[in-house]
Amino acid sequence: MVFNIQHYSLHDGPGIRTIIFFKGCPLRCRWCCNPESQNHYPEISYDEKRCLGNEICSECQKVCENNAIMFSSEGKAIIQRDKCSNCMKCIAECPAKAYKKEGIEYTADELLDIVEQDSIFYRGGNGGLTVSGGEPLIHGQFLIDLLKAAKKLRLSTAMETCGYADYSILKQTAEYLDTILFDIKSLDNFKHIIYTGKSNQVILNNFESLCNDFPHLHKHVRTPVIPGFNNSIEDLQKIEDYLKDKPAVTYEKLSYHRFGVGKYKTLGRKYPMDD
Amino acid sequence: MSKEKVLSAQEKRILFEINGEKNTLYNKKNRAFDLLKHVQGEKPVIDIERGLYFTRSFKTTEGQPLILRWAKALKYYAEHAKVYIDDNQLIIGRIGRPGRYGILYPELDGDILGDAIKQLPERETSPFNIDPNDAKIISEEIAPYWKGKTFHEDLIKALTPKTAALTYNQDKDFTSRFIVNETASFRSSIQWVHDYKIVLQKGFSGIRREMEKKLNELDEFSPVDQTEKKPFIDAVITVCDAIVLWAHRHAKLAGQLAAKEYNTVRKAELEKIAKICWQVPEYPARNFREAVQSQWFTQMFSRVEQKTGTVISNGRMDQYLYPFYKNDIEKSLITDDDVQEIFDCMWVAMSQYIDLYISSAGGAFNEGYAHWEAVTVGGQTSDGNDAVNDLTYILLKSKREFPLNYPDLAARIHTRSSQRYLAEVAETIKEGSGFPKLINDEEVIPLLLSKGADFEDAYDYSVSGCAECRMPNRDTYTSPNAYINFAAALEMTIYNGHMLKYGDELIGLKTGDAETFTDFDEFFAAYLRQQKNFLKHAFIQQHEIIRLRAKHFASPLGSALHKLCRDTLTDLHQPHIKGGIDLGYFEFIGYATVIDSLAAIKKIVFEEKKATLNQVKKAMQHNFTGYELLRQRLVNAPKYGNNDHYADEIGRTLDREALLFTRQYSKELGINLDLRYVPFTSHVPFGKVVSATPNGRLAWTPLSDGSSASQGADLYGPTAVLLSNFATKNYQYHERAARLLNVKLSPACVQGESGTQKLVQFIEAWRDLKLWHIQFNVINQDTLIAAQRNPENYRNLLVRIAGYSAYFTELSVDLQNDIIARTQNEAI
Ligand code: SF4
Ligand code: SF4
Repeated sequence: MVFNIQHYSLHDGPGIRTIIFFKGCPLRCRWCCNPESQNHYPEISYDEKRCLGNEICSECQKVCENNAIMFSSEGKAIIQRDKCSNCMKCIAECPAKAYKKEGIEYTADELLDIVEQDSIFYRGGNGGLTVSGGEPLIHGQFLIDLLKAAKKLRLSTAMETCGYADYSILKQTAEYLDTILFDIKSLDNFKHIIYTGKSNQVILNNFESLCNDFPHLHKHVRTPVIPGFNNSIEDLQKIEDYLKDKPAVTYEKLSYHRFGVGKYKTLGRKYPMDD
Repeated sequence: MSKEKVLSAQEKRILFEINGEKNTLYNKKNRAFDLLKHVQGEKPVIDIERGLYFTRSFKTTEGQPLILRWAKALKYYAEHAKVYIDDNQLIIGRIGRPGRYGILYPELDGDILGDAIKQLPERETSPFNIDPNDAKIISEEIAPYWKGKTFHEDLIKALTPKTAALTYNQDKDFTSRFIVNETASFRSSIQWVHDYKIVLQKGFSGIRREMEKKLNELDEFSPVDQTEKKPFIDAVITVCDAIVLWAHRHAKLAGQLAAKEYNTVRKAELEKIAKICWQVPEYPARNFREAVQSQWFTQMFSRVEQKTGTVISNGRMDQYLYPFYKNDIEKSLITDDDVQEIFDCMWVAMSQYIDLYISSAGGAFNEGYAHWEAVTVGGQTSDGNDAVNDLTYILLKSKREFPLNYPDLAARIHTRSSQRYLAEVAETIKEGSGFPKLINDEEVIPLLLSKGADFEDAYDYSVSGCAECRMPNRDTYTSPNAYINFAAALEMTIYNGHMLKYGDELIGLKTGDAETFTDFDEFFAAYLRQQKNFLKHAFIQQHEIIRLRAKHFASPLGSALHKLCRDTLTDLHQPHIKGGIDLGYFEFIGYATVIDSLAAIKKIVFEEKKATLNQVKKAMQHNFTGYELLRQRLVNAPKYGNNDHYADEIGRTLDREALLFTRQYSKELGINLDLRYVPFTSHVPFGKVVSATPNGRLAWTPLSDGSSASQGADLYGPTAVLLSNFATKNYQYHERAARLLNVKLSPACVQGESGTQKLVQFIEAWRDLKLWHIQFNVINQDTLIAAQRNPENYRNLLVRIAGYSAYFTELSVDLQNDIIARTQNEAI
């Protein structure tokens, strides 16, 4: 289940890359900028700005068998999420492409076909495939097969992960990775639970095992710096200290942005950072 | 994840100026920065000397061989034109008054000169000022002489009514119709590059000696030798004398000024200038400075000789100047800073000459005072090695540091281009003013070989004009080409041979009413018939142009600098020169507009059946007012530029059909008339005659440019744009020339060292896809919008348009909007 494929990515691994974003994530980070990745089932997203308004169009309402679509006072379509069955019928009807299906099933071969089309851009700078999410690791065997097949095609591979997964899966994927982009958000377990919904214990254990089993694998550790969560000097210093003697590690802090805000709205959800 | 706003070097510089802060970006300023201040931003003025002296000379030479008349006119100019030396300049020799000037070529379209002069100051695109006394001389002395004699008038008479109907409006001045548009009457040659090396090595005295020898070898009883070859030789000798005379007049003046000069530094400079001008271009250059001055006199005199489309190109400057540079450096006669200062002085001098188009079509095709005096750097040597040298890097550095859109810089790229070269090219692109454009050896050289060139000539090609390539001493084709508006062909397919703008007049073929098409294949076939009909008339046009030009134009200087012309004693403008390769082309304008329209009809009308073709037609007639729902469906159909097979396959068919046409018929013209996708700025005026199109484009707005995607239609980033470009080419046919490709990147995307590296990788992928040309705008969209709102603060904002860069605020609003609408690719 993939929610997006992004070409010409410059910041998620070496070179020019193509990213496959998987759907489904065990964490619920409040600052998450890809909320459409969180649920593991297909969802419908709706961009109000594109809607032409009911003065000229009501195509979606006409096809909706669940009466889930009404119009706002400005004449824009609104999905009532409680009535919507995610049947996706409205998508094809909308002339303005205001609706989008988030989550498409692909086979590994189909995905690699798409990735290989960009292969001419990978050559100079070790570019290639990055798998991301959501959390790619929840796709277990599919992910392992995909990476294995990618390696057979001699593609450079990278994975972005939150580290919250069964280690046996992580271990099997690592066999086929050139780079792993691993998030360590906080060493303070209490805060970690509040802001992400899960304990950091599994994550840190996984990281330790990864370092032991794959000392040569390039581990690029990243911390999203979130105001009120981990932006104090001590918090960040602790992470850097922790990483000091780990093998083949590079480190980067990412500054917080609110790109995700609009996306929550398109999915009919509330932006958690505004709480 | 971080997202602070990143500015290009150019944007920083402009902000410094707006805030009145001291500009710290250029720490080492040479004299050229001050010279530039005097000429930048002024509205150009028309200088009538060239037009006037040519007219006076031509009056006295009627009945003589054309090439001789041309040479005598140049001599007359050299004797009479004002000569002056700008304060503090190092490079001297101007062909118009101080400041920015444009000159007249009445032999082209002098018939419309009288009227045009009145409109020039107020024209929206590329306006000019004129002195009232000069305007009087134009309308009383110059224009009347040329009435009835110009190329423009002869061409109009020569075209059959059907061809003429696609070419001209039936008004008094036969203005362009912007359908099958001829460009031969606003320039006497397409882009061109001289063999400057011969001037530096032998001087004009050397060429003159060669001609004297040939004169002695002529058969005194041969009618051909006496009536064709002898005038050629006489003309070349005359022109050699003319340019030397012109240089000597400058030498004399420099000497006089030196005698009067109190400032001892300047006095010495003037004395040196005098010495240089007594030496070159008459004799071989002895050092770098003389080589540059000699090249300069040559290219300036070439501009007096004729109006070469897009301004005469400079050739491979880093190659032919290198021996002089190397020698001077080894002997410590010069430093790299001196070299850069000499170059910068030359760029300012270049920027003073403005390519003046009298006709409004010419002005609209070349907005923002377009110019492509391409300076080529990099590439390979004639024996196939990497050609990059220290001068290459100085030229790139000058382009990064000197804030001027002259010269047009072109960098050749090949598979063994070094990492340093690619990185410096990328760094220069990042500066943000659109230079250099890149030309791909891996596409160009095999094509030149396939057309009969030898390896040594092909490896040694120069970029010429906007996106074309020339082999000096081997190329022999100079006829300007047709620009064809294929979006108009599409419109005619919908309206059964008519266009909304021209009402009931039947201009194209009757290919059937919109309601009669039952499937997409039928509709597509009808479009292709209209396309073929346009090609037919473009080729008829070209046939007549080739025939007539030989009677109207001659190029004694251009011929003097061409080995094949000297060997065969034939003027360059004659249709056939032994040993030459004739590379011509025609333009496909509106490529993405047509692809996207056809894809939308296929998808929405014939596959999804959401609307009938008749409904689409109605919507188009109403410019989509009241049809927004349908327009949205059309807008959201598959589009070219997204690596989408659905649209790209249509594009490939359009390309192939045009290639097959020229494969069959260019032989009859005796030339290679290749398919090219380079719009200059013509996609804007062409759009002004095309009503709404089925891709959802509104009436009278610009068409897509070159081989780029429709404005804003490419949604998957620049890699997909490149892949679509690749997928729509038919590599099995060699009847192709340049495809121009614009990519706009945000500065954030190429930030820092890793940004440079990723830009290099992108360039390498472009190279390996064997695409011909690419150019970049590295600029933030809001900078452009701010410049549109507050032009006075952004007078020196340069943007890449089509093979050249121009000041954004000097463009028409339409073109400004077009540039803003080109999709900006953000780092992801
Ligand atoms: S997805 Fe189905 S149920 Fe939901 S709004 Fe669209 S048509 Fe209605
Ligand atoms: S079909 Fe699309 S444009 Fe029409 S009302 Fe629904 S959301 Fe709006």
